Amino acid sequence: MKGGQRSMKTIMQITLKGVFRDRVFHGIMVTACAFLLIPVIASLSMRQVTELSITLSLSLISFILLLLAVFLGGTSLWKDIERRYTFSVLGLPLSRQRYLLGRFGGTALFVLLVTVVLGVAAFVVVLYASIIYPSERPIVWLNMAACILFDALKYILLIAVATLFSTVSTSFFLPVFGTIATFLAGGVTQQVYEFVNSPAGDKLSPVIRQVASGLYYIIPNFGAFDLKIYAIYGLALPVNGLLLTIAYFVVYTGLLLSAAAALFARREMR
Amino acid sequence: MNAIEITGMYKQFTGKRMTKVDALKGLDLTIAAGEVFGFLGPNGAGKSTTIKLVMGLLRPTSGRAQIMGMDSCQAESRRHVGYLPENPAFYDYLSAEEYIAFVGSQFRMDKVLLTQRSEEVFKRLDLWEARKRPIRGYSKGMVQRVGLAQALVHDPDVYILDEPMSGLDPIGRSLVKDIILDLRIRGKCVFFSTHITDDVEKVCDRVGVINKGQLLVVESVETILQRGLEGYTVFLTNPDGKKEELFVKKAELQKCIEQSVILHQSVEKIEPCRKNMETFFLEIVAQQ
Repeated sequence: MKGGQRSMKTIMQITLKGVFRDRVFHGIMVTACAFLLIPVIASLSMRQVTELSITLSLSLISFILLLLAVFLGGTSLWKDIERRYTFSVLGLPLSRQRYLLGRFGGTALFVLLVTVVLGVAAFVVVLYASIIYPSERPIVWLNMAACILFDALKYILLIAVATLFSTVSTSFFLPVFGTIATFLAGGVTQQVYEFVNSPAGDKLSPVIRQVASGLYYIIPNFGAFDLKIYAIYGLALPVNGLLLTIAYFVVYTGLLLSAAAALFARREMR
Repeated sequence: MNAIEITGMYKQFTGKRMTKVDALKGLDLTIAAGEVFGFLGPNGAGKSTTIKLVMGLLRPTSGRAQIMGMDSCQAESRRHVGYLPENPAFYDYLSAEEYIAFVGSQFRMDKVLLTQRSEEVFKRLDLWEARKRPIRGYSKGMVQRVGLAQALVHDPDVYILDEPMSGLDPIGRSLVKDIILDLRIRGKCVFFSTHITDDVEKVCDRVGVINKGQLLVVESVETILQRGLEGYTVFLTNPDGKKEELFVKKAELQKCIEQSVILHQSVEKIEPCRKNMETFFLEIVAQQ
């Protein structure tokens, strides 16, 4: 392993240690206990208990990953600057880019680890619900796994957004609230774009339509990562669409991190 | 090769309402390998700004700095440096041992050497017992000593220490002075900032005085102390056993000794009377 990669790896390890020893992680573990309640809550519906269990499990995973992305992604770098850790760390023979990518990589890796753990918990819960209340529709486990994986990718992309905001911010407001705003906007860009380009959208002024189209390309499209419908109803996965989403994730995250690295390299540590 | 070279370093900060503040005004400074250089200045003089510019934490408005011949903007230039920031802070969820291991890995230290060096610095800095505890439980002085440990562990050629004695008790301060003197004997370059003149007088080869962003003077400590010599206090004992104490001007010492021989007085002790570093520092700053 080259020196630079080793430097980044140690930053990732330090980030992971920090997360595991942080109260945020302990809070999430408590939240994850809600999985135990899913079969009980789903059984209250009296019908489609398995489908409801899948929906609740996936929603809970999504919610926990959102909390992680916002509060860990948005505060990881900012906290280092605010608590003056950067003075000592950047005084080491470590480039700012590697430091930034290491911090991002550590948080992203943690999100992936949590995804695996929560994914396993979701599988157990759904399996249990399906045994107690057998479903008419077969459960497609691959679809469920794909849905959870794409959810993780969505939140890793959101961490990249939070990292970008952290590089220019002097407080936690922009990284946290900017990330939340981006998440909310990114969840509806696809619908807005489709509405603007539908016959109903013709009534809108051309300026609004152009602005909406522009934002569609700038704000990350989180809708593309949502595979819940495929998981709940066992529909066939659109393979080409998924490949396109993976390519979109790689390119978009790469662009965000490149911009973040360029901005962070110019940041003054006063 | 010079250990540190600062050429035409100028730094302007943009304050509130876009006001411009000149923090550093064209600093030129060269520090040789193996030299201990004290950077003296009052609060807000530009000492920490200079150090942060040398360490690449700030970007110069103009000018440049080099460490061991490498541009200080390159991360690789810091491979030769042990840096202690002002009021240091470290990942407080880690123990001192974990943090030093992290620092060692950044310097690509061999694991066996790292273990051996860590033990040495922890024992020297009196952190051995506390090394496995999280840093968040440390006192300010202990955190400062972790800062020194991470600067010393890879045994670099250049040490850049921003207020190294800050937050330390008298025992800690004495320990740091001993460490710097030891580094001097071992031919290491130490560049440290302080506003405590006594520290400079005891450990430095040269001193630079900075105020309001301008380097006012760079001088060898020995020259300053020699120049500041005003005279001597001569302690005499008369033939009848009575003790006498005389102040003698610098040029009149020889004459005084000859006189005492004639008068059958015995010279018990001669003490030089000189302006100390503090007086020198205050005079320089007052002149500006």
